Amino acid sequence: MTPQCSQFFRSAVLLTSLLGLAGCNDGSGDPKAQIGANPTLPDVRQFLFPPMHIAHVVGWKKGETPSVPKGLKIEALATGLQHPRMLYSLPNGDVLVVESKAPQADPVTRPKQIIMKYIESWATSGGDTGPSNRITLLRDTNGDGVADTPSVFLDHLNSPFGVVLVGNDLYVANTDAIVKYPYKLGDTKISAPGETLTQLPGGPIDHHWTKSLTASPDGSLLYVGVGSNSNITENGMEAEKNRAAILEVDRATGRSRIFASGLRNPNGLTFEPQSGALWAVVNERDEIGPDLVPDYMTSVKDGAFYGWPYSYYGQHVDPRVQPQRPDLVAKAIPPDYALSSHVAPLGLAFYTGTNLPESYRNGAFVGEHGSWNRQQLNGYKVVFVPFNNGKPSGMAQDVVTGFLDGNNEARGRPVGLAVDKSGALLIADDVGNTVWRVTGGGGTSPAAKL
Amino acid sequence: MTTQEVTTERISSTAQIARHPIHPMLVPFPIVCFIGALVTDIAYYATANIMWADFSSWLLVIGVIMGIIAAAAGLIDFLSNRLIRAQPAAWAHLAGNLLMLVLAFFNALIHQRDGWTSVVPVGLSLSIIVVLILPVTGWLGWALVYRHGVGVAR
Repeated sequence: MTPQCSQFFRSAVLLTSLLGLAGCNDGSGDPKAQIGANPTLPDVRQFLFPPMHIAHVVGWKKGETPSVPKGLKIEALATGLQHPRMLYSLPNGDVLVVESKAPQADPVTRPKQIIMKYIESWATSGGDTGPSNRITLLRDTNGDGVADTPSVFLDHLNSPFGVVLVGNDLYVANTDAIVKYPYKLGDTKISAPGETLTQLPGGPIDHHWTKSLTASPDGSLLYVGVGSNSNITENGMEAEKNRAAILEVDRATGRSRIFASGLRNPNGLTFEPQSGALWAVVNERDEIGPDLVPDYMTSVKDGAFYGWPYSYYGQHVDPRVQPQRPDLVAKAIPPDYALSSHVAPLGLAFYTGTNLPESYRNGAFVGEHGSWNRQQLNGYKVVFVPFNNGKPSGMAQDVVTGFLDGNNEARGRPVGLAVDKSGALLIADDVGNTVWRVTGGGGTSPAAKL
Repeated sequence: MTTQEVTTERISSTAQIARHPIHPMLVPFPIVCFIGALVTDIAYYATANIMWADFSSWLLVIGVIMGIIAAAAGLIDFLSNRLIRAQPAAWAHLAGNLLMLVLAFFNALIHQRDGWTSVVPVGLSLSIIVVLILPVTGWLGWALVYRHGVGVAR
């Protein structure tokens, strides 16, 4: 679009807001009231022009870092990456960074998509220029908290996201398939061709394309998160086959089944260390209000249905879905813990290390990529949810903030999380093109020294 | 001057190409688009097949854009010729079509919602109202041409 055209469009959007179609005050409540087991849920609101506010990306200036509370220290483990989205800690201390870009955009079926694509381009990431869709290896030989020169570990992938190592098999979840590669501890590059374990729902419509991946504790089964192919079935129900679900894949045969469904966009699949239950963070539906629907984290029960698309948070029916399915709504169960609306959780890591202070040693970190569907930005941070006996046991606390600057512009946005061998928390920052490393530094914890 | 001469007096169009007025060339676009959108809205209401709602969305957006262009041509004629402004039918034609375009614009916004409520009930209702306005303003427009000779060459 030409600059003049863009100017015109911005004016049009401004005019629309002046007309009261999208007021600057969208009537949203306190985001904190929607954290925990029993979030307050307002009534469904529908809009002529849904509230939209995407933080414009400005990037990190030299020397800038996100903020952490006293007793913690944050440093860049690696910079200059290409849209890093997911991290995986290998047993020898090496860290894999999944650099990934969205697959080709969904086919345009409505004028709305053209407009939305343009608005989203205001928040363009720095990953649009260089080579991406690869995995980069970070190794910190001298243990100074800064990685040696990053090297390409595995290249020419198809919008990869999840990674998991089982024995000598490294599994990569591309957007359309789980691919197996041979890996020996200490390898710095994989050049062997991969072997497809199973296909996953991919294009041509591939709306939620990130395929989160983990393995069962015994290594026999893989779990893969497959997001819905729409906000709320506007691409038709045929497009949702095997989607909005967590699939369980037999590692030996590649045979898969739906483990749990009704999860609009499940990510961060991780087994909770104490209970052994599978957990996920889930991005809920948009465009029915700034405070609907809260995104959440939940233990995922075998065979359970969590509502999407027919209902949310248990049995709150979504009027946008037709034909309705009261039979399925009756089966829908509410998730365990709300994270507030539109925060877009994409990363989850349970903390079992000793590097960070005592208060972080039983619970989960959640990477919140940040909102677009409300005026007051929400998310854009990493929070810690304390756990007790394998269940959330208190209010989420902000841990890593400052991804937004004073003007509500995004210096970075957190995505995937991992805990490295030393017990430091790692954060993939996909628009800041950085991997951040949080330690119990500041001399408060002896374990901080590597 | 005889009565015969008055009724056949030429009221020229300003927005014209080789004395062919532009406004009547363009008005079929919004008319067909808005009627089409009502048909596809009804089809979506009856089937819940999202393809029909997608058609409605395109038809409304294209109808509004072409309607605005047609309105611009009509407005040029209206503003630049005192004889047109002297026709009460011209004022009613303008007001009715302005209302219809505003309603169609809001209808296009409603149709950008996702799923069932992009059509039912507000979208479908607006589509019906817009199509009900069409013959009224259309009648007035035809009256301007056939009865009062607006834009007629001879």
